[in-house]
Amino acid sequence: MKESWSMILTYACAMILVFVLTFHFLLQGPLAGKPFEGTGGVLAFSYAAGNLVNFEVVFGLLLYAAILHGLNGVRVIALEWFHPQKKAWLLNLIIVVLMAFFLALGSYTLLAVG
Amino acid sequence: MKKEPRYKSGLISSLNPFGYNVERWSYALHRVTGVVLIGYLMAHIFETFELSMGNTAWTSTMNALHSLGPLELVGLWIVAGSALYHGANGIRLILNEMFGKLMGRPILPVYPYSPTSLGRNQRIAVWTITGVVLVLWVWAGLYLLTGLGVV
Repeated sequence: MKESWSMILTYACAMILVFVLTFHFLLQGPLAGKPFEGTGGVLAFSYAAGNLVNFEVVFGLLLYAAILHGLNGVRVIALEWFHPQKKAWLLNLIIVVLMAFFLALGSYTLLAVG
Repeated sequence: MKKEPRYKSGLISSLNPFGYNVERWSYALHRVTGVVLIGYLMAHIFETFELSMGNTAWTSTMNALHSLGPLELVGLWIVAGSALYHGANGIRLILNEMFGKLMGRPILPVYPYSPTSLGRNQRIAVWTITGVVLVLWVWAGLYLLTGLGVV
């Protein structure tokens, strides 16, 4: 993939994240009322699992956009450490493996709970 | 093979904003907050994975995190600040880099050089973002540290 395409993907994911993350924050906080009440200050299983079930698509979008955006950002920063640039393929490989791992873990959670 | 000198200081120098203008400060902060957020995101995916293991595993993880006391809240406050800054500054960067907004017109470089990218609109954007993020971060701190669901 050309660097320019990876940056366009990063920007597209960033724009998605602005909206989806705002929703996630509001859902865990102000929109939730008092999700921690009566649970000793911890987030109740029923509330957290219920959110994943009710907003499965939104959280799926959040997972994919955040991982693609975040790990590509790490790649861009880490590229400065790679000299000569011929070795950049190794970094790209590590990032792709990490992306696959976290996307698989997150997708499994969404499917198992949903 | 001998390394080229410009690679010697590498990442650490790229994060040092001292002696530079506000654009460099926002660049350094954007990187630092991004690294904080990706670290949190990875931990958060592991944490959320516990939901698939059932109620007992989830509650036990939540209790373990809750036992950290104020550390947990301070950690969340740092994550909230990072997300606010990274998001707000990211919107500015998208306007700059994808749409060419807030940037000055290109000019011939004449000594003493002054970056046209840091014109009036850009300065207003940077300081507005800083102000809004600080206000929201204080609110997030009150929200977290005075008890969730209270504010």
